[in-house]
Amino acid sequence: MLGYALVTLYPLYWLFISAFKTNQEFYEHPFALPQAWAFSNFKRAWELSDMGRAMVNSSIVTFTAIILTLFLGALTAYVLSRFSFRLRGPLTGLFVVGMLIPIHSTLVPLFIMMKNVGILNTYWALILPYACFELPVAIFVIAAYMSTIPKEIEEAAIVDGVGYWGIFLRMMLPLTLPALSTVAILGFLRYWNDFAFALVFINKQSLKTIPLSLSIFSDGFGTDYALTMSAMAMSVLPTIIVFLIFQEQIMKGMVAGAVKG
Amino acid sequence: MISTMHFKRFITLALLPSLLLYAFFVIVPVFWSMYYGFFEWKGIGPLKYVGLENFSEVISDPIFWRALKNNLIIVAASILGQVPIALVLALLLRKSSLLHRFIRSAVFMPMVLSTVVVGLIWGYIYHPQFGLVNTVLEHIGLGSWKRAWLSDRSANMYAVSVPIIWNFIGPYLIMFIAAIQNIPSEIEDACKIDGTRPFQKLFYVTLPMIRGTINVVIVMCIAGSLKAFDQVFIMTGGGPAQSTELLATYMYNNTFNVYRYGYGSAVSTAIVVISGGLIAISQLVFRNKAE
Repeated sequence: MLGYALVTLYPLYWLFISAFKTNQEFYEHPFALPQAWAFSNFKRAWELSDMGRAMVNSSIVTFTAIILTLFLGALTAYVLSRFSFRLRGPLTGLFVVGMLIPIHSTLVPLFIMMKNVGILNTYWALILPYACFELPVAIFVIAAYMSTIPKEIEEAAIVDGVGYWGIFLRMMLPLTLPALSTVAILGFLRYWNDFAFALVFINKQSLKTIPLSLSIFSDGFGTDYALTMSAMAMSVLPTIIVFLIFQEQIMKGMVAGAVKG
Repeated sequence: MISTMHFKRFITLALLPSLLLYAFFVIVPVFWSMYYGFFEWKGIGPLKYVGLENFSEVISDPIFWRALKNNLIIVAASILGQVPIALVLALLLRKSSLLHRFIRSAVFMPMVLSTVVVGLIWGYIYHPQFGLVNTVLEHIGLGSWKRAWLSDRSANMYAVSVPIIWNFIGPYLIMFIAAIQNIPSEIEDACKIDGTRPFQKLFYVTLPMIRGTINVVIVMCIAGSLKAFDQVFIMTGGGPAQSTELLATYMYNNTFNVYRYGYGSAVSTAIVVISGGLIAISQLVFRNKAE
């Protein structure tokens, strides 16, 4: 059991030790610890892969998309979970269906549509699809949480003359903070790691996100192994740190999102 | 009090932004993709209507069928690899001791990595000269088994399945653990009183009690495997000679490499139909069993 866990972790361990090796050492002693820890790899990898630029792009796209997901998801979840109206059932169904759609089948039409609207090769070409494809999971997780909040709170607020927007912004949002943070963390992992959308919708060097700048190492440029390994090690650090801090929440959230998918 | 008019206006205003964006980016593209399937188009210039030509070409295209077969290999690898491993680990990992929590986190960890990183790391692990797999084989005296794992056509589909299994075991493990913890403790007590042997308990109590979860996991394996793209695209790009082509990589290569937008769209439509069909079938099986 512990053995299996260690085998699972081995590729990661290997990634991190290899990141500190020289190319020759990597080639000759793939298993051994580095003889001299070459921290300079990271500096060189950072510069050559333009990792700084990629980190900035990934951060902009990820955080804007998270905010959009949270706002749209919470607002929709609020309406779908707390109000009864005729179209509630069909609309909920429409959002659930989204979890079943294979994203790759939407790449071509999205590419063409965004090209026509003129947002291809902008941050929005990633932010909008990310937020939209994450909406079903976001709505599902947030609505489930909102339905546990007692209705009396809202009724009291309405008697006090607070409008629906006031209830949403000043009561529901703060009260659903745990669900919102789960959605935010899941969104962070998805957006930060996404490859397919970035591959198709972004061609401009200056807009490349981290997975995209790493992917150039897969076709032929990848002969500088130490460099590739260092670039990868740097790129996975943020997600590993987020995972170590929020693991329970991530595990629960991913399973909740996945069960419906 | 707030009037009905306010009520209606609020609902409309609150739903409109997400509905519009969601329809535009998620729902409409699926239908649009079917529509483009009826045309021959290079991405620029006029669309040429060709009727069902693209779709009939898909059906008679040997590479499409190979891609589907490769996807099904991944489905099989997921069901035969991920489900048993996750199940056995879940049965063993019931306490919330430090060791058990560590193992759970370790198994879940690959899930948070970018699939590009997964593909690149495993590309190196399979590297013919210095890759871990070949080096290990050499060390344990199985040097004759060494091969170029990703270009050897008899092995590469199995080779690319392993990282996918490794990548996605975590969520299944957590689902199984949750299901096992949900078994009522009375049953546990009854087993103790009756002196049920561990193996009997496993086959007559535990497994039947979590059958629902096992079914859900199998459905997820099917749906997930049909979406497989990133890791394989990074490791092999579908090659060599399209031997590791998957439905998604085939769609991508047709559209964005050889600029056959119409044909790519027809393949996309096929992906939607196939996943819909497989999910529907597995749901039917799941319902029948549950009854």
